[in-house]
Amino acid sequence: MSLQKTAASKAASETQLVARAQRGDEEAFAALFETHKRRVYSLCLRMTGNTAEAEDLTQEAFLQLFRKISTFRGESAFSTWLHRLAVNVVLMHLRKKGLQQVSLDEVDTSQDEPVKRDYGDHDRRLLGSVDRISLSRAIDDLPPGYRTVFVLHDIEGYEHNEIAEIMNCSVGNSKSQLHKARMRLRDLLRQNEGLMTRGEPVVSDQAPTER
Amino acid sequence: MEETRYDKTAGCYRLEVELQAYLEGEDRPFVLAHTCECAFCRVLVEDLEALRAAAQELPLEEPSPAVWPNIRAQLATAGCFAEKTSFWDWLSQLDFLRRPIPVATFACVVVLGCVLTASRNNPEQDLSLSPPASEGGTAVRSMAFIGDSTSLEQVVRELEKSFKAREAFLAPDVKATYENSLDSLDSSIRECSDSLRREPGNSLAHEYLLAAYSQKAEVLSSALEFDEGR
Repeated sequence: MSLQKTAASKAASETQLVARAQRGDEEAFAALFETHKRRVYSLCLRMTGNTAEAEDLTQEAFLQLFRKISTFRGESAFSTWLHRLAVNVVLMHLRKKGLQQVSLDEVDTSQDEPVKRDYGDHDRRLLGSVDRISLSRAIDDLPPGYRTVFVLHDIEGYEHNEIAEIMNCSVGNSKSQLHKARMRLRDLLRQNEGLMTRGEPVVSDQAPTER
Repeated sequence: MEETRYDKTAGCYRLEVELQAYLEGEDRPFVLAHTCECAFCRVLVEDLEALRAAAQELPLEEPSPAVWPNIRAQLATAGCFAEKTSFWDWLSQLDFLRRPIPVATFACVVVLGCVLTASRNNPEQDLSLSPPASEGGTAVRSMAFIGDSTSLEQVVRELEKSFKAREAFLAPDVKATYENSLDSLDSSIRECSDSLRREPGNSLAHEYLLAAYSQKAEVLSSALEFDEGR
């Protein structure tokens, strides 16, 4: 009951903040930013793998949000509206960069290369070794299409039908890309784990991030 | 998928087909059955489940402190923030302050109220004017009460005169509403005055009398303001 009350009072205070922000109250803008900045920034960071880009995109997402806030009618939760807006900002950015993010239905042979499965040591599990740093690094190393679907589904909790709508692809394609992304991630983590075990540094073919 | 395993069975191939749906939460008994007998596929399924769980527990990252000032500056430039108004700006926007009669009346009531409050909160002053703890002292104080209400009564009379002069211009329903309020207040004033005549030292009756006069002054001011605002 207390959790329900807390959730209800949180929603009520957010509704009040949104109403104040719609009237141009600067403090309400700041409070909304403070409440949602971490989730928006994390989304941007995981989808781009670059802190500078992620901060620019966070800024852009909040600017768009505040410019459009007068059109928010409360038909969905404010956080849902904001995160959807942030996803669109990131996808638009990736499209501008020319990455293969426009549609998962487009043929993308670079992403469909075989995922190696090392059967030589079948009892070596990743369990227990999936630490946050390795996982974050492996996500950064995923091809952009895989990364987007993985971040949206497994981290942000979007359903496949929502991803299909956002990415303009079929539900089946979203599921298939997610499965391939998970297999690729497992492969990357096992590779990194093997290198670490042998004392070799983990080398990424992407530009190092500033994290 | 490229396979390097030598002992891959038909079951392993079938698992690959069903694995995606199984991880999506679909009921796939074959996957469970096969992972019980194939150590390789069991590790694969456990790894993928561990990966999914680890992804859900990734911590949120904090943006640098420079992000909000940048956003704020751009919003300010775009004019998204409402300008904060000072008290005097707010006061100057109040329309009724531009009408002299209600403002003057209100000011009179406020000044009178302040005088009365000050004199009642300063018993030493009263005591210095009256003999201590005597019936005569009570009488002088009750006379002062009457004097206070008399001043207020004069203000109310002036307002009443203005109201009488203008009531003909009021709409009948508005006029009736004001008259009802005024009748009720007059009746309270009469009751309090009678009580004071019987008991000149009745401070409660005096307070009620002052309150009734103040309310009557407010009602009359409101009526005059309404007439001006038509």
